[in-house]
Amino acid sequence: MSEVSYGEVIDYSKAPPLVEGNPTLSKIDDSIAAPSETRPSKKYFMALGVTLTMLLIGVIALGYTFYYGIGMWGNNIPVAWGFAITNFVFWIGIGHAGTLISAVLFLFRQRWRTAIARFAEAMTIFAVMCAGLFPLIHLGRPWYAAFVFPIPTQHGVWINWNSPLVWDVFAVSTYFTVSLMFWYIGLIPDLATMRDRTTNKIKKAVYHVLSMGWRFSNRHWQHYEKVYVILAGLATPLVLSVHSIVSFDFAVSILPGWHTTIFPPYFVAGAIFSGFGMVLTVLIIVRKVFNLEYIITMNHLDKMAKVTLLVSMMVAYAYLMEPFMAWYSGDPIDWYLVLMRMTGHYALGFWVMTTCNVFVPQLLWFKKIRHNIGVLFVISLLINVGMWLERYIIIVTSLYKDFLPSAWHIFVPTLTDFGILIGSFGLFFTLVLLFARSLPVISMTEVKGVTEGAHPTHHIGAEHE
Amino acid sequence: MTTQQISTEKLRKLPESYGKLGWTLLIAGVVFTILSFVIDAKHASFGLTMTLVFVATVGVGSLFWVGVEYVSSAVWSTALRRPFEFLAGVIPFLIILALPLLLRMRTIFEWTHKSLLATDPAMVVKAPYLNIPFFLIRTVGVFALWWLFYYLIIRNSRNQDTSRDQQLTTKNVKLSAGFMPVFAVTLTLFSIDWLMSLTPNWFSTIFAVYVFSGSVLAAMAFGTLIIVKLNEKDRFPVKLTPDHYYNLGAFLFAFVVFWAYIQFSQFMLQWYGNLREETLYYIPRMHGSWAVVSIAVALAEFLIPFFLLVTKPAKMSPKRLVFVSVWLLAAHALDIYWMVMPVYDSKTAVFGVSEVAFILLSLGIILTVFAYKAKGNNMVPVGDPKLQRGLEFHI
Amino acid sequence: MSDIEKNPQGGRRLYGITALFDGPEKLVNAAAAVVKEGYKNYDAYSPYPIHGLDSAMKLKRTYIGAVTLIAGLTGASLLLLFAWWTNSIDYPLVIGGKPYFAWPSYIPLMFEMAVLFGAVSTVAALIMVWLGLPRNSHPLQDTEFMKKISDDGFGIAIEAKDSSFDEKQTKAFLEKLGAEKVELVYYETREISLKEAVLDPKFIGVIVVVAIATSGATYFGLNKMLLLRPWTSLSDQAKVLPETRSEFYPDGFAMRPPVNGTVARGELPYRYANNIPAAEKFMKNPVLPSKHVMELGQRDFNIYCSPCHGYFADGQSRLQGQFPVPPSLHIDSLRTAPDGLYYEVITNGFQGVMPSYARQIPRDERWAIVWYIRALQRAQNPPEVADAK
Repeated sequence: MSEVSYGEVIDYSKAPPLVEGNPTLSKIDDSIAAPSETRPSKKYFMALGVTLTMLLIGVIALGYTFYYGIGMWGNNIPVAWGFAITNFVFWIGIGHAGTLISAVLFLFRQRWRTAIARFAEAMTIFAVMCAGLFPLIHLGRPWYAAFVFPIPTQHGVWINWNSPLVWDVFAVSTYFTVSLMFWYIGLIPDLATMRDRTTNKIKKAVYHVLSMGWRFSNRHWQHYEKVYVILAGLATPLVLSVHSIVSFDFAVSILPGWHTTIFPPYFVAGAIFSGFGMVLTVLIIVRKVFNLEYIITMNHLDKMAKVTLLVSMMVAYAYLMEPFMAWYSGDPIDWYLVLMRMTGHYALGFWVMTTCNVFVPQLLWFKKIRHNIGVLFVISLLINVGMWLERYIIIVTSLYKDFLPSAWHIFVPTLTDFGILIGSFGLFFTLVLLFARSLPVISMTEVKGVTEGAHPTHHIGAEHE
Repeated sequence: MTTQQISTEKLRKLPESYGKLGWTLLIAGVVFTILSFVIDAKHASFGLTMTLVFVATVGVGSLFWVGVEYVSSAVWSTALRRPFEFLAGVIPFLIILALPLLLRMRTIFEWTHKSLLATDPAMVVKAPYLNIPFFLIRTVGVFALWWLFYYLIIRNSRNQDTSRDQQLTTKNVKLSAGFMPVFAVTLTLFSIDWLMSLTPNWFSTIFAVYVFSGSVLAAMAFGTLIIVKLNEKDRFPVKLTPDHYYNLGAFLFAFVVFWAYIQFSQFMLQWYGNLREETLYYIPRMHGSWAVVSIAVALAEFLIPFFLLVTKPAKMSPKRLVFVSVWLLAAHALDIYWMVMPVYDSKTAVFGVSEVAFILLSLGIILTVFAYKAKGNNMVPVGDPKLQRGLEFHI
Repeated sequence: MSDIEKNPQGGRRLYGITALFDGPEKLVNAAAAVVKEGYKNYDAYSPYPIHGLDSAMKLKRTYIGAVTLIAGLTGASLLLLFAWWTNSIDYPLVIGGKPYFAWPSYIPLMFEMAVLFGAVSTVAALIMVWLGLPRNSHPLQDTEFMKKISDDGFGIAIEAKDSSFDEKQTKAFLEKLGAEKVELVYYETREISLKEAVLDPKFIGVIVVVAIATSGATYFGLNKMLLLRPWTSLSDQAKVLPETRSEFYPDGFAMRPPVNGTVARGELPYRYANNIPAAEKFMKNPVLPSKHVMELGQRDFNIYCSPCHGYFADGQSRLQGQFPVPPSLHIDSLRTAPDGLYYEVITNGFQGVMPSYARQIPRDERWAIVWYIRALQRAQNPPEVADAK
């Protein structure tokens, strides 16, 4: 920590600009609304073609699964959770960064979030949709999912309130609802702007309905802003609780490697970590494709890289605590599991995971790397790989060696497993692409609010009081 | 924009009452501690352990807040940083506080008894970690590392008052970024050594995070108490606005919730898992008079402050903030009592001279050190380039 | 709309006057001036919320947070109550060795419900109560003023219903404040008659198409789709059904005879069928008499036997001679006959006149009937009296 910093002088007495080049308010509207008002480029259709193909692969794999049953997957006893739950945890985690950026950074008044919040929130919603799919198809007969809700039936028996799987249903559906509302509430003023911009009659009608007749009245803004804070305040503990409850799926059991008290915060940190990886991946592409470099600035990517580094350290802390406590506990089975993860059948996965999640992000300590988009992009992809593997390792290694050696069974994924995984990525990116073309991907309102001269320099009301 | 004038006469002039109160409490604390050792040395050892944990958590928690301000380039808190720096001033004295305990380790720590190794196979596994030489190395190492970072960060901050060199901020940002992982590891070692190993068979991976949540909450409460008190009495060198109060209140609120989240996660998972080696921590705490203490801890450190701070006007009200800060410090003391004392007496929650000594001595040390540091230093970092921006902060 | 005051300008009613200002600073100043002038029904418009505008307009604090708090606490308490009632009262279940009321398990759910109730109620209250939305008929909708605001304008609108409003004066006042574009905004007065709307062929067409599509989809879904794989997964299993051909066995029969010596569940081999002497000789009543057994016997006897044998087994048939009348069971030969006789007759019938009751009455209940018959016989012919004879 020495010579590198002295090359440049940072002036701490001035706030760094949030929007580069000081554009006019109209120009902000124009460039944010441009993707939905112009004909998409060939590149866009090519991208959509790729994602739709991936989605189709997923649909075919799902068709196979439903027609022939869950036997098409690699799942076995004892590894009954396999890919489906791995993907579920992975996608839920991706969603968490969105809420973190939109709600937590909002509460911390990190105004740089404005440029990326909308996109991250949309990603949350799409990711939760992908995530919700997996427990559903893991049922094998998804139409029986109704039984997880506390509805009175002729059996007279109610759902098991002690089951973390039931908690999951409540948590994920609450999370989806609240994220959707948060996103929508943020969209309303922008939809109104789109309504007033568009000349197409059908589009205008749709925007009219969606914006509900918003009219930028300050008497409305007052309540609106308050509700936004409240929703952020609710979403912040919610995001902690959702992944904590996902971690309870594992941690309330007494399996070695699963039953450990650090799981709730560890999963939350991991979720934010993977989510930031995904947001970085997508944003780096989006700012390039839609020419939004002056709104999503290098400064944003730098800050996101720093947050990624921070959560990577938290994940690393959990990686350290787990084996230490497994040893400290004196429980031979716990300790055996730790050694088996490092050296057993899935050792390669474990070491790739550790490399991607702990060692590679350490590069982000260096400013040069944080400001190199190519390297940043590669790191963000590696984080995605690493975090997916983390869930895979947690699920498979704890399960495949059951307590009785006669019950041991190696998990080998099938083509159908991979098909569904690819399909979920296809679904996610298809939705992202459609969203990027149809709605303002950046909050015009909020960006306008952080331009220079957006607010009077002194409080007039304060003098009156 | 109007630049706020810094009142130079208040910069180095803490009201005399702080020092007086600090010394009174300190002397009373020392007297009571000696008394408690005369009455019941074992009880007193546990009492002094609580004192060490309280002072250490407030001290290192304050240093953590200082570091967070640098790392996150937070602006609003620049004017409020010094009180936290002064609070962190207790760090060099921790080793003195730990000394009598290190001499009485056989009383406090069950794992120091060789007989345990013969009967408990798990203790044989732990022996490479839980042994007296390694324990001493860790304790000294942890305190030394804290002191090192305290010394480096505070020195830069202080030098900036005169030199106004912006590079010092850059230096401190880097130092603080380096401090964060060190802090995580050292606080983990500290909490395992001084709290978890009191029940040598018990373990919990989240435990250090739990200690962390209590630590930063207590540090924030102590800082808030002093800052709001001074500002309301018009003894703070700059004028703070309700917006600054709001942020202090919001951090208190956030960490109250965080504390509850961590405690609940640990409790629920061990309750649900129902394994002997985990429940042995909670079973004594859920029966007899300890059950009352457990409920009191949950109420004191979560439910009551939660509702006291939930609304926005509450977070901005100086009266409410002072009350909640005092309340939370008491809750933190109760929390430490809840962690430590069931090891001394697992049947009944005792309250005696040792507990009185714990409260007096803890507050005495922190206040005396604070008053001493405040005398020789500026109450706001006058040379910090972020200071004016921080004063203009509004929500 | 009877209270509309007809306005000279083409029968339109005036909503108010809008004015645009250059930049947020001027807007805040103007808003403060409007308040000073004494206007109440006015509003400031800006593309984003501006700091200090609320206090310049002297708006009161919003209490919408109370909705969140109350709804959140309600959600949490409802969940606690519900979980307690279902698992402790309505259908108590022990799960994983936890108590019926396992409160630590409910806390995550209580939190989720608090957030769900809190967030949904707050948003609903905001939109419907506080903002009065959705409302696309507001006079400011689709005006040039609104188009400017939603892009980069800052404006104020003073409504005509304000008591200090005067068209000329207010206009002049706004212009004096430095407004750039001062315009009058009117209510729309076009009305649509309900009859016209309902009889519109477009409307009717949509209704018809929706009805056909819905019924078709429902018919297909319930009658065709649910009978296809994979919805049949529970009945559609890899197993052989009765009357089907087996590819596995050389004789092609799917149904296999049981292995020799197989005893079906709940049944014991009975070796004295239609052999009364053997039944009399080798069988004893295995059921011990008790109040319960006697009551069971009485119940079954009254159901199955009494129509022909009469309630007292005396042959007083209730069938009025439509069926051969059985003999009284109180005659000496029957009274002294062993239990096995009765059991065998109930099980296999008698001489083609009495049918077999083996399918209706389980084995132990047949023995219970035998006990009841014994009791009836004893009641008709007490041993004391017989001895006296």
